[in-house]
Amino acid sequence: MSIHFVSVSCVYYSQGSIAMSQKKKAVSASQNKTQRRSQVCLDEDDEDAHFSQITSSQVQRAREHFTPVQIDRKVAEVVQFILIKDQKKIPIRRADIGKHVIKEYKGIYTEIMNRVCRTFEQVFGLQLVEIDPKNHIYILINKLEPIHGEPVSMRPGNPKTGLLFVILSVIFMKGGVIKENLVWNTLKKLRVDPGEKHDEFGDVKKVVTDEFVRQKYLEYVKIPHTEPVEYEFRWGLRAEKEVSKLKLLEFVGELFGQDPQSWTQQFREASTAETSSQRT
Amino acid sequence: MSDSRRRSKGSQEETAGTSNGLGGRNRSERACDMGDEDDTGAGPSAISDEDDDPTRRREIRSKYRDLINQVQQNREDMLNPANNKLTDVLEEANKLFANVRQAREAALDAQLLVLATDLGKEKASQLHAEGSAFDPSAFAEHLLSFMGLNRLEDESGQDGNLEGYLPQSAWQRLAKRSEYCFKTAPSFHYILGSFLAEPPPPRQRVERQRKAPSKEAKRMMPTQLKKMEESNQEATEREVERILGCLQKYFADDPEEPISYYEFVIDPNSFSRTVENIFHMSFLIRDGLVKMNLDKYGLPCIAPVEEGEVELGGAAVRNQCVISINQKSWREIIEAFDIKGAMIPPPEVLSQ
Repeated sequence: MSIHFVSVSCVYYSQGSIAMSQKKKAVSASQNKTQRRSQVCLDEDDEDAHFSQITSSQVQRAREHFTPVQIDRKVAEVVQFILIKDQKKIPIRRADIGKHVIKEYKGIYTEIMNRVCRTFEQVFGLQLVEIDPKNHIYILINKLEPIHGEPVSMRPGNPKTGLLFVILSVIFMKGGVIKENLVWNTLKKLRVDPGEKHDEFGDVKKVVTDEFVRQKYLEYVKIPHTEPVEYEFRWGLRAEKEVSKLKLLEFVGELFGQDPQSWTQQFREASTAETSSQRT
Repeated sequence: MSDSRRRSKGSQEETAGTSNGLGGRNRSERACDMGDEDDTGAGPSAISDEDDDPTRRREIRSKYRDLINQVQQNREDMLNPANNKLTDVLEEANKLFANVRQAREAALDAQLLVLATDLGKEKASQLHAEGSAFDPSAFAEHLLSFMGLNRLEDESGQDGNLEGYLPQSAWQRLAKRSEYCFKTAPSFHYILGSFLAEPPPPRQRVERQRKAPSKEAKRMMPTQLKKMEESNQEATEREVERILGCLQKYFADDPEEPISYYEFVIDPNSFSRTVENIFHMSFLIRDGLVKMNLDKYGLPCIAPVEEGEVELGGAAVRNQCVISINQKSWREIIEAFDIKGAMIPPPEVLSQ
């Protein structure tokens, strides 16, 4: 089936520009509707070659080719795939969804993904969020806000959450970028030494610079012109969507016994982030 | 600032800024200032002698390198908003630059400039125009308290947070509280777990063990059965013949008197042997060796069939009947006929 599409797309290549613009026109109306309805969970201006050469006639053909029952099942498969992939909290690439699940239903990818988003929202109370529009990477976050006083989950807390919180707080309170030494020094004061194996976290350096980075909670970037090389930490794309800066600031305020608003700059940034996330 | 100086100095140092290396040489087509033979100072006439003094140039380079080292080693110090060390370094560099004539020194100046601007950028980002500052050390202290650190009574001021006992659940407690800040999607897991591959192998082993003995048992069985079957058949035949022999003996004593069937088969001492006798008797009748008829009282009597009669018996109409007996009837018959002893002696060799 994939070979078929390749040959078809070659044929269409010469008409590609015409076909694509036609498709864009046809889809733009529905695109506005979906964007208004929910968080951007689909994308049309793709540089992903896998999807960019689908013409509107191919879409039509695909829709007629599959029965509603088959499409239902495909939607369910994508939902399951994403749920399982989310277990490790590593963001999911659209290319993976296409390769492993959607496959020959590529033509109606958009329709499937729309329904997938809706299923997540209405059935699970989760939101499928595209954290990287350029590379098409998705994460699942909770649509429901945690209520203070009630436990977030029945399971015992994951200690790594606490570790992550410490790092994210320091970065945020210090303006959004900090040098790695600040993180290591702060952690050392909490009896977590990146040079030693920790009882709960094991190889701390690996957890912080590898695991958290792969999960996109943190960014670990080289600072230019440093000799020897130094790195800095920033919030990752997942953290931007998943963490409430306002709630974080509130907790920091609790710890210091201070009003969160006393950190005016941070408070302003946190409030802005909160309203913009609520808008979507 | 160095830039403006440079311009005011003239065209000689134009190409200086490109190289970052210590003492890097800039070979360019321009004949004038790019002498790779620095120390010999043999250059075109554009460079005056005093600008070309190797000692002086070495001095300048060494001072630049000092400044660069100073910036690199004391980075944290330079960043401290409380002092102006960075500005001091830049002013030093400015002074040095006044004497720079050739590219090599200018390259060092450029390198220093790059470092200084990086630091300047960092220092600027540390500035918070308003609001209170955030001290990560204090933050750590508060976190430890939250996590339930038991501080020792005699802690010293500086090493305060290295003393004390942090409970096991410390990070758990922090995690539970931090969770509120996250909108993490719960991880998907099957409630009752998934199928594991482990149970089947033990079951197979058990099955195999069970199968092995049963197969052997089966193998043993046929031989036993064969024996039994043979002995059964033989026993039956022998028994039937014996009974026939008994009957014929009785008849030989008194040929005219038919023998009462019941009196013949019943063994008052054993119900089971009675049944066996009836069973064996039926063979004799079936094979036409014994005939049964009703006497004047309506009771069945039996008599052996003569040799000659056999064929006739074969052509004659055969009747079938089913005889049944139970213990109650057996006892009634014994009583009715007043049977004292078995007419058919029990077999001497009991079944194995």
